[in-house]
Amino acid sequence: MTHFDVFGLPPRYTLDAADLEKRHRALALEWHPDRAAPSDARAHRVAVERTTALNDAYRVLKDPIRRAFYLLALAGVDLDHAGGGPRDLPIEMLEEVLELREALAEAKTAKDFPRARELAARVEAERTGALAAAVLCLELVETSPANPVAVKKASHQLSRVRYFTRFLEEADALEEEAL
Amino acid sequence: MAAGGLMQIHDPQKPRGFAVGIDLGTTHSLVAAVIEGKPRCLPADVGGSVLLPSVVHYQAAGGVVVGKNAQALAADFPGDTLKSVKRFMGKGPDDPETKRLGAYRFVGGKPVVRFDVAGGQPVTPVEVSGEILRTLKRRAEGHFMAKVEQAVITVPAYFDDAQRQATKDAGRLAGLEVLRLLNEPTAAALAYGLDKGSQGLFAVYDLGGGTFDVSILKLVEGVFEVKSTGGDTALGGDDFDRVLAEKFLAAMKLEAPTPSQVVQVLAVARAAKERLSVADRVEVGLDDHRQVVTRAELEEWIRPLVQKTGPACRRALKDAGLKPSDLDGVVLVGGSTRVPAVRRFVAELFGREPLADIDPDQVVALGAAIQADLLTNSARADEVLLLDVLPLSLGLETMGGVVERLIPRNSTVPTAAAQLFTTFQDGQNAMDVHVVQGERELVADCRSLARFRLSGIPALSAGMGRVEVRFQVDADGILAVSAKELSTGVSQEITVKPSHGLTDAEIEQMLLDSIEHAEEDVRARFLREQQVEAGRVLADARKQLAQNGDLFEPGERAPFEAALAELEALVRTATDFQVLETALRALDAQSRPFVERVMNRAIADAVSGHSVEEY
Ligand SMILES: Nc1ncnc2c1ncn2[C@@H]1O[C@H](COP(=O)(O)OP(=O)(O)OP(=O)(O)O)[C@@H](O)[C@H]1O
Ligand SMILES: [Mg+2]
Repeated sequence: MTHFDVFGLPPRYTLDAADLEKRHRALALEWHPDRAAPSDARAHRVAVERTTALNDAYRVLKDPIRRAFYLLALAGVDLDHAGGGPRDLPIEMLEEVLELREALAEAKTAKDFPRARELAARVEAERTGALAAAVLCLELVETSPANPVAVKKASHQLSRVRYFTRFLEEADALEEEAL
Repeated sequence: MAAGGLMQIHDPQKPRGFAVGIDLGTTHSLVAAVIEGKPRCLPADVGGSVLLPSVVHYQAAGGVVVGKNAQALAADFPGDTLKSVKRFMGKGPDDPETKRLGAYRFVGGKPVVRFDVAGGQPVTPVEVSGEILRTLKRRAEGHFMAKVEQAVITVPAYFDDAQRQATKDAGRLAGLEVLRLLNEPTAAALAYGLDKGSQGLFAVYDLGGGTFDVSILKLVEGVFEVKSTGGDTALGGDDFDRVLAEKFLAAMKLEAPTPSQVVQVLAVARAAKERLSVADRVEVGLDDHRQVVTRAELEEWIRPLVQKTGPACRRALKDAGLKPSDLDGVVLVGGSTRVPAVRRFVAELFGREPLADIDPDQVVALGAAIQADLLTNSARADEVLLLDVLPLSLGLETMGGVVERLIPRNSTVPTAAAQLFTTFQDGQNAMDVHVVQGERELVADCRSLARFRLSGIPALSAGMGRVEVRFQVDADGILAVSAKELSTGVSQEITVKPSHGLTDAEIEQMLLDSIEHAEEDVRARFLREQQVEAGRVLADARKQLAQNGDLFEPGERAPFEAALAELEALVRTATDFQVLETALRALDAQSRPFVERVMNRAIADAVSGHSVEEY
């Protein structure tokens, strides 16, 4: 059962966030262990299992980035699991990431917070672009499943997304330090 | 017929257990219950106050005093009177918390904080909290005249796994079944939401004595969904007190104050701070030192602390994908939100005037009582549902001391995640797993929750042995880990006992100790029994008064009613079971003639009833 199945939704990137939230609430009301009779251990266990699956699916699908990674995993490339990353990432993508990280490290040592913020804004924009590109590829896969080129492109873009996300988390930590 | 007293004629009704809500606070603790559909705080301390100071005093003779009476002993016995112990829950002996200005004597040698106190063994924060919970449990039992064995206990939303485990252990030590650990801001929202029938998006800003929490919730038709949460479990009014106390000590040129001076200065600082919430200036006197403090000065000194709450609020909003203007309201909780500078800060941060119309001291306990009622009262189960989140990400250590995040913060609980590990050496039959919690990239910057070794992996060549480690987080936000070797299907359950926690064996031992040795406990149990008894007597006497009031001889009724009122008052105030016992006996003797007439009438009624049927 996929996360989409849990909600009775088709496996598509585009979804209505408000609708997803509503479905989550309705299913939680139906399945939640707090609504099972406290004395019925079996019913309770089943409720915990179903609610856990529901919440896991919700966590993944409500987040635009996680949802993209999940669709990629459904297409056969699991970037979330250790060692699952593509070994053939184009060298210029790696260089781009390394440069950015170096720049951030410099800003950090120099306590140059405006510079860090500026870098973060740039990376944020890059990430949005990479995600959009990945989504385009994933949508191609949705319509024509056997499309190895699109899958590969999506995985490259999502790898960038992941690096950018790490970068942004570090920048965030720095930002909090600044406050 | 044999002379019977009130004690003999009560209906042999089985006392029904009550489930209560407990706010186990850094400075104050409260117990509340839903009574006739409404949540209410119960008297928790001597004198009937609903606030029980979270202070525990250990006597040289081995006794334990809790609450206001313990507080009174702090200046004379600074090391034996433990306050703000919540800040040590789930902490290791080297935690920065142990280095702050304070009067405690710490004992090392164990992975948990221990205090050296009078009267025997060193005590852990779990035991100290257990004493507070036990006191609340007894007070509630005294109130209901019935056993109280189930509770919802609140914790700061930002408490990590070790702090939650410790709180649950404390409940167990106090003889309570912990139905749920409920996050404090969520409890407050529950109390507000149900009281005001609110819908929409709310931020709850909770600044108490020792902890700061912020939660963003969405309320829709009885579902309370936490969107995000943030905070600092070591930031609160205590820190305001410390800043002020340090200024006093500096002004007094006291570089090496004695523990008793520290306690005194902290108490004066707290009183001055609280007065400055309404006054512009106060004059403090410490021995022969006099000093005037203005509100502006205080605000200046605590500004960095107040501002420290800002990033967590902004991050919580960001995590929820919201701007301040999306909110429908901001709710203030906790005593420290009475500080005007805090209110101004919150108003500015969220761009609106915050609400504080339910007593900020009580609102958390009231919410906990509601949740306890929802969880035990099946008739109410479908009114409301709480969906809370995991406050801090859970992950595993990977190569190079980097954290691999398995479950991100703000995931709705219960939740789970699995991670696959492969062996990296030929014939490797064990694997080390290190569980951490926190948002930082490096293991060293996160909280270490537990380390364990998975053994019994079959000898295979490198990369062939595959183990799936699964994290399951329950509705309390507590983690359980299990592992499964995939080639053989052999699975192992691992109890994650936090690195800075107590083992099950230690808890068992503490339970035994508290049952065997505490003389005070026995007396308390007797007191409780007498309270239960007195409750029955009172209820029954009322019934008889209503039904058979005509059986009083002239002049009998008024003294009887006076005796009842007196007993009623005694039930609430008596601290010694013998006092109650004596009062009960006296009442019994006094009411005997009346009770005999009641019995005679009952017999007569029964006989005449028969006569109708049979003849
Ligand atoms: N009028 C006031 N002005 C300023 N501070 C106040 C006032 N009244 C109470 N406080 C402070 O509020 C704090 C206690 O708040 P509260 O009882 O909400 O905390 P708690 O629930 O015990 O702690 P926590 O929730 O952090 O575990 C103390 O630091 C106290 O000094
Ligand atoms: Mg509190």
